[in-house]
Amino acid sequence: MDFHLSDGQQLLVSTAREFLRRQCSPSVVAESLASERGFLPDLWKEISVLGWPGLLVPAEYGGSGGGFLDVALLAEEMGRVCFPAPYVTSAVVGASLIAAAGRRTQRERLLPTLASGERLCALALTEESASMSPEAVEVAGEPGGKLSGQKLFVNDAHVADMLIVVARGASGLSLFVVDARRPGVTILPMAALAGSRPCEVTFDGVELHADDLLGERGHGWGLLQPALEAGALARAAEMVGCAQHILDICVEHAKGRKQFGRPLGSFQAVQHACADLLRDVETARGLAHYAAWSRDEGHPGAGDIAMAKAYASRTAQTVARKAHQLLGAISFCEEHPLHLFHKRILAAGLDFGDQSHHLEIVASAIGLA
Amino acid sequence: MNFQFSPDEQAFAEEVRGFLRAHPPGSYSIDGMDAGYGSGAHSHAFLRALADQGWLTMTWPKSFGGQERSLMYTLVLFEELAAEGAPFGPLAGCNQTAEGIIRFGSETLRREVLPRIGRGEATFWQGFSEPDAGSDLLSLKTEASRRGDEYVIRGHKIWSSHAGIGDYGLVLARTDPAARRSKGLSMFVVDNATTGMDIRPIRSLTGEVYHYEVFLDDVRVPAGYLLGQEGEGFTQLLRGLDTDRFWGRFYKAPMLRRVLGEMVQYANVTVRNGVPLARDQGFRRRLATLASDVQAVRLLFYRIAWMIREGLPTPYETALVKVMADETGQAVAALGMEMLGLHAPLTGDSRWARLNGSIQHLYQTSLGQTIAGGTSEVLRSTVATRGLGLPAEARARD
Repeated sequence: MDFHLSDGQQLLVSTAREFLRRQCSPSVVAESLASERGFLPDLWKEISVLGWPGLLVPAEYGGSGGGFLDVALLAEEMGRVCFPAPYVTSAVVGASLIAAAGRRTQRERLLPTLASGERLCALALTEESASMSPEAVEVAGEPGGKLSGQKLFVNDAHVADMLIVVARGASGLSLFVVDARRPGVTILPMAALAGSRPCEVTFDGVELHADDLLGERGHGWGLLQPALEAGALARAAEMVGCAQHILDICVEHAKGRKQFGRPLGSFQAVQHACADLLRDVETARGLAHYAAWSRDEGHPGAGDIAMAKAYASRTAQTVARKAHQLLGAISFCEEHPLHLFHKRILAAGLDFGDQSHHLEIVASAIGLA
Repeated sequence: MNFQFSPDEQAFAEEVRGFLRAHPPGSYSIDGMDAGYGSGAHSHAFLRALADQGWLTMTWPKSFGGQERSLMYTLVLFEELAAEGAPFGPLAGCNQTAEGIIRFGSETLRREVLPRIGRGEATFWQGFSEPDAGSDLLSLKTEASRRGDEYVIRGHKIWSSHAGIGDYGLVLARTDPAARRSKGLSMFVVDNATTGMDIRPIRSLTGEVYHYEVFLDDVRVPAGYLLGQEGEGFTQLLRGLDTDRFWGRFYKAPMLRRVLGEMVQYANVTVRNGVPLARDQGFRRRLATLASDVQAVRLLFYRIAWMIREGLPTPYETALVKVMADETGQAVAALGMEMLGLHAPLTGDSRWARLNGSIQHLYQTSLGQTIAGGTSEVLRSTVATRGLGLPAEARARD
């Protein structure tokens, strides 16, 4: 048993924390989120120089071949500053899916530009039913045929260069990588809270080429699962980072602000609430690290990632709501950063499976019939 | 990062499982009730059986007859015993007392008491709380004064677990009445058989006896039975409470995993109102949530164990994990009661009881656990001040 991070992981964390502290202040976050794209291209270029978009891409395609724990550590640092960028969408889910499911020619064609950060990828999975089950996929598509139908809640599609689309054909569900600007593809942002950029993506008889099929025909759902787990884990870690920062804000406030002639933090009601926030953050982090480690080691429990995701969603939301109470009226203002972290937590909790989705996986994993 | 026990530690886990297969825990006579912490009932026979395996001296220095194994072996032992529901109630107290004697004890204690611990012949109770000194422990009134080669102790202790079936008390008493509250306290090892000891049972809400109150009427204790130096009692107390929060709670996570597993099986085979409980979305979701909470507690314990092994300071972690372990235990027991429904209040004496009546027992005992060893209120303040650096609340006196 050893809870030390490796030298490489320590370097990743310290580099990320220092870089994000300098380059991603609350005003940068607010500016990014107010922009049409939702993130600043210059900041994305800088993290590309650091190699972050290639973290999960094998070295032969220009990445660094990192593991789930590396992703969890980086995503937590991103959460601490509410980092506004399609990182998890493109670099974690998109890249890992292509790396795992793509043929050699597809990997050679697509991965280097994803790893270098030049291109972005989004996953078009959910539809109007808002379901995460294979039965819910109605968008139709066959290799060599046409893609028709509508996807909803496609995060970051508005900035994506390519879309991985889950579509139904005669042999079941298949995955297709489609250029986001191909004729017949229409992408419209859905008006939503600041935590994510969901889009409506319509496919109107989009031509599918033979080389668009990702992985074997009809095996799309199975191929998708590891990427969805990577996304869920990254979102869990991101929520841990968000919650940690919220806790830090609350503690600073409780130490500094005086009422009734004494610091707020000397009142038991405030102390006990803060103690619970610390418990929530530390335990959520433990579950995320455990899930990442067990996956990297190759012997994951069936419910490890689901547990980490469901737990982080629940506790981070509790932390965010309690923080509004602890910080008082100022936290109700747009200029106070708390609501941005809170909204990111809400969005991250929904991405790649919400609490009930993951709790159902846990329920099966613990043996409930 | 590595969450796994080492190959040697895993081999030891297998050794413990083998022992439990050969020596079914249910075959040992029980001396005191299971208080629901995860360490099972109090069985002196089982303690001696563990001692026969050499498992009471695993972490002791070789010069004291030990094996100098790392604390991870104690973790493994606790985890395996708790997973089987074995009656190892006194074990954590034995380990803690042995550690105290090895680190701070006099030659007398090392010679007369320590070997008995190693053989599984001595169990210990804590004489800390008093009728008017609960959370505000430093207001305790029991006094000890030196007379020649002895101390004479006079006072009244309460909430001492299994004191009536133990061998020695660890009694905290004031040796310097003039000193400030936290100064002038000393810790004594007091033999139950000493003249002047009056140990009276307190029947608990389960109908069984767990706590005792202890009247010390000029009890004469050899000076060598002082643990550490005179005036160091507060330090000894904090050390004891801190390790108690960790070691006295570590086995709760594996115990709760076992109980949740039993509840899952119960849900799978029980049909109520025409639907298996396992298909009831409410129970299903809450069981999954609590399984996550138990896993979170378990991982936190692992992390703290590693910190202790690495010699890192743990200023607030044991308080944090103790509160969470106990509150999670209460939640598991409460859900169990709800799942059992009309069967929930039936005790093991009823042929209609489910899960041998274990859930109601866990439920009842769980009520005391957020009080014992530091209330959740006191410990949340500890986490806030020592973990987060929040200012201590003003007190009437200190």
